[in-house]
Amino acid sequence: MLKGVNRKIGLILFLLSAGYLYMSFQLPTYPYIPVDADAVPKALGWVLLVLSIALFFTKDNDTEEQKAKRHIPKKDVMALLGVLGLLIIYIFLFEIVGFILMTTLFVFFCSWFLGYKKHWVNAIVSIVFPVFLYSIFVFLLQINLPQGILPI
Amino acid sequence: MGAIDGILTGFEVAFSWQGIMFVLLGVFVGTFIGMLPGLGPISAIAIMIPITYGMDPSLALVMMAGVYYGAVFGGSTSSILLNAPGISGTVASSFDGYPMAQQGKAGKALAIAAISSFAGGTISVILLMIFAPMLASVAVSFGPPAYFALMLLGLTAISSLSEGSTIKALISAVVGFMIATIGIDPQTGTARFTFDSANLLDGIDFLVIALGLFAIAEVCYLVMNRHKSMGGSGKDIGSLKITKDDAKEMSGPIGRHSILGFILGILPGAGATIASFISYITEKRMSKNPEEFGKGSIKGLAAPETSNNAATSGAFVPLLSLGIPGSGTTAVMLGAFLVLGLQPGPMLMGDRPEVFWGIIASMYIGNVFLLILNLPLIPYIARILTIPRPMLISLVLMFSLIGVYAISFSVFDLYLLVAFGVLGYLMRMFAFPAPPFILAFILGGMMEQSFRQSMTISNGQLSIFFESNIALSLIALSVLSFAFPIVKNLRGKKKA
Repeated sequence: MLKGVNRKIGLILFLLSAGYLYMSFQLPTYPYIPVDADAVPKALGWVLLVLSIALFFTKDNDTEEQKAKRHIPKKDVMALLGVLGLLIIYIFLFEIVGFILMTTLFVFFCSWFLGYKKHWVNAIVSIVFPVFLYSIFVFLLQINLPQGILPI
Repeated sequence: MGAIDGILTGFEVAFSWQGIMFVLLGVFVGTFIGMLPGLGPISAIAIMIPITYGMDPSLALVMMAGVYYGAVFGGSTSSILLNAPGISGTVASSFDGYPMAQQGKAGKALAIAAISSFAGGTISVILLMIFAPMLASVAVSFGPPAYFALMLLGLTAISSLSEGSTIKALISAVVGFMIATIGIDPQTGTARFTFDSANLLDGIDFLVIALGLFAIAEVCYLVMNRHKSMGGSGKDIGSLKITKDDAKEMSGPIGRHSILGFILGILPGAGATIASFISYITEKRMSKNPEEFGKGSIKGLAAPETSNNAATSGAFVPLLSLGIPGSGTTAVMLGAFLVLGLQPGPMLMGDRPEVFWGIIASMYIGNVFLLILNLPLIPYIARILTIPRPMLISLVLMFSLIGVYAISFSVFDLYLLVAFGVLGYLMRMFAFPAPPFILAFILGGMMEQSFRQSMTISNGQLSIFFESNIALSLIALSVLSFAFPIVKNLRGKKKA
C-alpha cells in the first residue's frame, strides 16, 4: 500500500492536516465576529487534506535526476548529521560561551570536519571572521551579540 | 508632493555619497553571492537583511535593490565561466555563454552579458519610473476587498512556480500559509498553534523561513558536494573587446527583450527565470540562423541576459506600487521592507517619496556600477569561486545564524532556523518547490487580514467581493492566471 514516494508523503501530509484540523477546531470562537480566528485555519486544513489524498493517488513521475537526488551515500549522511550536530552544540552554547568564541570554534571545526586541510588558513579565518562581524554588529550597528565568558 | 519633486528627492538620495556607497556595496555583494553556486538573489537578500538593522531605510533598500540585481548578474558570470548557474534566472545564459567561453571567448561573453544586462536594466528602470506611480495612484483607492483580490492574484503565481507537479506546488503553498497562521491572531487576540510557547506568540519570523528554506537547504547540497572543485577561475578569459559587428548583432535582441523582460517581470510568478527562457526561445524562433543557438550565438546570450535584468526591475512594479510580491525573491524583498518598518504599497509613494523614488533612481547608478564592476573586475571577482567549499559552508551557516539572532535575540529561533533548513532540504529532495511556500507565507497573513476586514465591513456577506469592479476584475484575472498554466501543462502532457 505504501509503495512509492508519493504515497508515503501523502500519508504524512494527511496525518499532518488531520492534526492541524483537530487543533483548528479547538480554537475558541467569539460571538458577533463574521470570520473568526478559526475559519482560515480550518479551510487550510481541509485543503491540505484533499491535496494529500490527491498526492497519495498521483503516480510517481519523477525524473531520473530527481530520483538520484534522493539517494544519499552513507558518507554524506554522516557529514550532514555531523554538521547538524555541530550546529546544535553551537546554538546550545551560543549565549553561554559567547558569540566570538563559539563562532571561532564552529568555523574551525566545521571546516576541518568537512575536509579542509590548511589548518593555518582555517585558524586565521575562524578568528578574523567572528571578530570582524562582532565589531560590525556591536560597535557599528549597536546590536549586542552575546559576549559570554569574554570580557568584551 | 508632486511626482517631479518625488523624482528629484529620489535622485538626491541616490546621488548622495552614502547612496552611491551603498549601491556600490549592494551590487558588489550581490554579484559576489550570486556567483556562488545555488545562492541566488533570495539567499543574498536574506543574508544581507541583518546588515541593514538601524540603517536609514531608504539607503538600506537602495542597497538591497543593488543586491538583488547584482545577484542576478553574478549568476550569469558563473553560468558563462563554469556552466554552473548560480541561480535559475541565468540558466538560459549558459546555453550560449558557456560554449563561447569554451571557444576561448569568455571575456567577450562576459562583456556581452554585462552590456546586455546594463541595457536591459536601464531601459526597464525607465519603464518602472513610468508604470509604478501610475499603478500606485490607482491602487490608493483600493479597499480591503480589492486588496484581498490583489493578494489572490499574487498567489496565483504558485501555479507557474511549480516545476513539474502542480499538486506539490499547492501543498508547498498551503503549508507556507499554515505556518503564517501561527501566533496571536491580530483581530481577536486568540493564540493559534503556539503550543503554549511564549516564543511562538509573535509568529515565526520570515527571515527564519527565508534563510532556512533557501540558504541552509543549499548548504546541505554544498555539504554533499564538498569535494567538488568549483572550477579554475584564474585562467585566461580572453579579450573583453566587442567589435562593431557584435554590437550590431546585440542591438536587436537588447531592444526587444528589455521590453519583453520587463512585462514578464511584472506578471505574478513569471520573474527572471521565465523571462530569460521565453526571451531565449523567442530570439531563436526569430533568428535567421537558429542552428547557431547553443553553439555560442551572440544573440542567444544577449537575449536572456537583457531579459533577466529587465525582469528584475519589472518585478519591482507590483512590489513598490501595490505591496504585492509576485515571486519568491520579491517576497523576501518585501520582508526586507517590513523589517525596516516600511509597508510597500500605494501609500509608499506619497508617504515616503525618498524611499520609493530613491530605490528607482538608485537603479540607474546601480546598473552603471554593475557595468564598471563587471567588465574589468570580473576575473578578480570570479576568484570567489576558489574559496574552498568546507570554509564556504561554515561561513554561510554562521551568516544565516547571526542574521536570525540579530533580529529576534532568541535562541529558540536558531533551532527553528535549523528545523526549516532540514525541511527545505527534504522539500528539494522530494521535488516540492520552495518559492510557493515563502510566497504563501508572506501573502497568506496579509490575505487573511484583508479577507476578514472585508467580511467585517459587509457583516459576513461574501457579495462584497463582487460589488467593486476592481475586486471583481482582479478575481477574474486571478482565476485566469491560475488556470492558464495548469491547462497549458495538461494539454502539453496530453499531446506528449
